[in-house]
Amino acid sequence: MNQTYPFKFWCKQQVNRFAPGLFFIGLVLLWECICVFGKVPNYILPAPSSIITAFLNVEFSRWMTHLWATLRVALMGFFLSIIIAIPLSIGMMRSELMNRVLYPALIVIQSTPVVAVAPLIIVLLGTDDPSRVLITCLITFFPLVVSTTTGMLETPPEMIELSKSLRAPRYRETWQIRIPYAIPHIFSGLRVSITLAIIGAVVAEFVAAEEGLGYFIQFSTSFFKIPQAFAGLIFLSIISLLLFKSVQWVQMWLFPWSLPKKK
Amino acid sequence: MGPVPNKTDKNLTYVSLKGVGHKYDPHPNSPMVVQDIDLDIHRHEFVAVVGPSGCGKSTLLRMVAGLLVPSHGSVSVFNLPVTEPRDDVGIVFQKANLLPWLTVRKNVLFPLKHKYGRYSSADEVRANELLEMAGLMQFADKMPDELSGGMQQRVGIVRALLLNPDILLMDEPFSALDALTREQIGFDLLDIWREHPKTVLFITHSISEAVLLSDRILVMSKRPGTVMDLIEVDLARPRTSKTINSPRFAELTDIIRGYIYEPNVPV
Amino acid sequence: MKTKLKFTLFASLITSTSVMAADKVTFQLDWLPGGDKAPVYVGIQQGFFEALDLDVSIASGRGSTDALTKMATGQSDIGSSDIGALMAARAQDDVPVVAVLPYFTQAPHAFFVLKSSGIKSIKDLKGKKIATSPFTSSNAFLPLVLKENGFSEEDIQLVKSDPGALAPMMITGNADAIIAWVTNTALFKNQASSVGKEVIEMPWSDSGLSLYSSSLLASEKFLTERPDVAKRFVKAYAKAIQFTYEFPDKAGADLHKMVPEVDAGIVSAQIKSITNLVFNDVTEKDGFGYFTPERIQKTWKYVAEANGLEDDALEPMMIVNNDFIPE
Ligand SMILES: Nc1ncnc2c1ncn2[C@@H]1O[C@H](COP(=O)(O)OP(=O)(O)OP(=O)(O)O)[C@@H](O)[C@H]1O
Ligand SMILES: [Mg+2]
Repeated sequence: MNQTYPFKFWCKQQVNRFAPGLFFIGLVLLWECICVFGKVPNYILPAPSSIITAFLNVEFSRWMTHLWATLRVALMGFFLSIIIAIPLSIGMMRSELMNRVLYPALIVIQSTPVVAVAPLIIVLLGTDDPSRVLITCLITFFPLVVSTTTGMLETPPEMIELSKSLRAPRYRETWQIRIPYAIPHIFSGLRVSITLAIIGAVVAEFVAAEEGLGYFIQFSTSFFKIPQAFAGLIFLSIISLLLFKSVQWVQMWLFPWSLPKKK
Repeated sequence: MGPVPNKTDKNLTYVSLKGVGHKYDPHPNSPMVVQDIDLDIHRHEFVAVVGPSGCGKSTLLRMVAGLLVPSHGSVSVFNLPVTEPRDDVGIVFQKANLLPWLTVRKNVLFPLKHKYGRYSSADEVRANELLEMAGLMQFADKMPDELSGGMQQRVGIVRALLLNPDILLMDEPFSALDALTREQIGFDLLDIWREHPKTVLFITHSISEAVLLSDRILVMSKRPGTVMDLIEVDLARPRTSKTINSPRFAELTDIIRGYIYEPNVPV
Repeated sequence: MKTKLKFTLFASLITSTSVMAADKVTFQLDWLPGGDKAPVYVGIQQGFFEALDLDVSIASGRGSTDALTKMATGQSDIGSSDIGALMAARAQDDVPVVAVLPYFTQAPHAFFVLKSSGIKSIKDLKGKKIATSPFTSSNAFLPLVLKENGFSEEDIQLVKSDPGALAPMMITGNADAIIAWVTNTALFKNQASSVGKEVIEMPWSDSGLSLYSSSLLASEKFLTERPDVAKRFVKAYAKAIQFTYEFPDKAGADLHKMVPEVDAGIVSAQIKSITNLVFNDVTEKDGFGYFTPERIQKTWKYVAEANGLEDDALEPMMIVNNDFIPE
């Protein structure tokens, strides 16, 4: 009798701890069963087991080559868009003229399908990394501009009045007040951007590349190796997920105060 | 300057408002927000402003602070027209507005860091002294969100005192606090004021708070805000919780309440 | 001992300088690596290019237009793409690219059906549901083929779908026939046999659609600025084509070596299945590696009709440069 309550509690705890993992494993098993017992052919929906086999059949070093190619472009594009977006937002926040001139231009750029301008980029910058980095950057920088600008504009007006009442130089208003206040917004932008960066790199590889996970998937499809394409796809999503998490870790590590308060 | 007695010196006018009026919209037909305000605040005087919401109290304060140029009349501080914010005027806002990424001590030192880009160890010593005085020393290295609302507000006051301003402008500094904390922090403010005599312009929604703290109370009318009365608070200092129970305190609050709830009573 | 060391040093110096001096050539594919793209890989692996002092790098492409654009803008020097696409482009624009060597002397387009469907010839397709991919050049030639067989597009039900979905559609019975290139034959057979079915190909070249298709194209800039390099390249490339179709298994291994994701076996099967696109009665008659004016003319006629262009929009021999044919 005495034992029951803690035991129940322990069980509940364990269920909470392992439920997400068990759910995932269950899902994969269900998928496997549907494929095996339903006799679904590989070219329609490959079974998890054949995806794993396909994954192992590709040499590890090849995976690393493709991973590095995609990651390199995605990260360079991501950092380039940070370098462009943040100063741009500061400029637009500080100058009404710049805001009015640039904002429509940014929206036009954002709503242009990158695939449509990609051939032009390739002609201008060649078929190497620079083109792919630019394509990635074009896809990633808009959410960053929007989130940074929003964040800086949402600074409490009292803080701005405090800065004015001190007659502090404007750059300090930007650096010591507006930017830190924008940090939570900037990080939501970064989380969106990092996943877009992977998509951007893959889109760029669809246009021109000799390696990379996007190229690998396209290539596998061209040989109708669907399980191999799925393996590439799943690998890609895991990388996206890890990058997304990394952005959260960086925020937790550098700006713990900017995280939403836990209840 | 030397030690100064904490007594209003009627011979020295620190803040002077003459025929001050303001409208945010420059259009000729747009309504005035505040109108015809005449007020002199003397050295080390504690003046409270009460009035209905939207009557232009904050507008008035921002004009004294040099954050807003009045469209009519003139505001002067130390007999000089106010054209921009001055170093000898400090402001405390309604919400504490501490920076969440800085410790309490760094928040207190923020005005120096923000204005000059740095502070000296002497400044840190001063910040510690002020924190000590406000009873916040043990929280100096805590982050703002680890403090209660009342403590955060005290940090805001300490921050305004860092640059040792002669004039302190406070815009509903305690309105975000619960009633108990509010009364206590009112007494704390009086203690601080006694130790560091300042000329204070204090905006509040609370009639009893105005009576408890101030030397004079400016009662404003509904929009457009005009002066309905300027009431002399003749309660002895130092004021304590006993003051609240005195008949004169009740009398004064009743007078003001009369203005706020029956605005048609002739002055 | 000392002289020997000196000699080795000298020899390595020569080889290293010769490697440094090798002429760089960028080769453009019109799609991703695959069996039909094997010759350039064979040329590299078998040392045909190196022997003629060429240092060749390969760029994959995303369709014939993409390949043409990359050659026209100087991203690459020479490459394989569809001569029909070049004709259509030249008829409308002044694209500085010309054809230097035929590769496929027959059209690669084909219908594929399951043996179990009972369809035996193109005529049997009347009233059937046929799947094709949205952007393939085959679509333009489809009306011509149907006309040759006495019916029109109105007599069939044409559906468009992703290239990767075509074979599954046929195998699952969602389409009676599909349109694709014969370069895919080996892959389709593979897919169908995994569920115990058999695929039959019906090449359009068998029913009158007789034309040049995939060819070796080069940018005019490359040909005028480095004619000597171009000449050597074409020579080595022609040799590589011969080798590829003579030794499909070696070619498969060579491609696999450079692109490990590709199975050597599939590649050699692909090569075997398309040999008659490269070596056939046309090459028998005209000889390998030579564009005849008659066949160019004929190709243009088809291209013009398929793309709705005027017959006089292009003087077709203008897009051919026979000066680089290896002796
Ligand atoms: N920046 C501004 N631009 C335009 N109108 C303003 C601005 N600031 C305040 N107002 C208007 O001026 C009037 C007075 O505002 P103010 O903030 O001074 O009132 P208040 O007495 O402080 O009110 P509360 O007690 O609610 O704080 C209000 O009607 C407000 O809408
Ligand atoms: Mg206000």
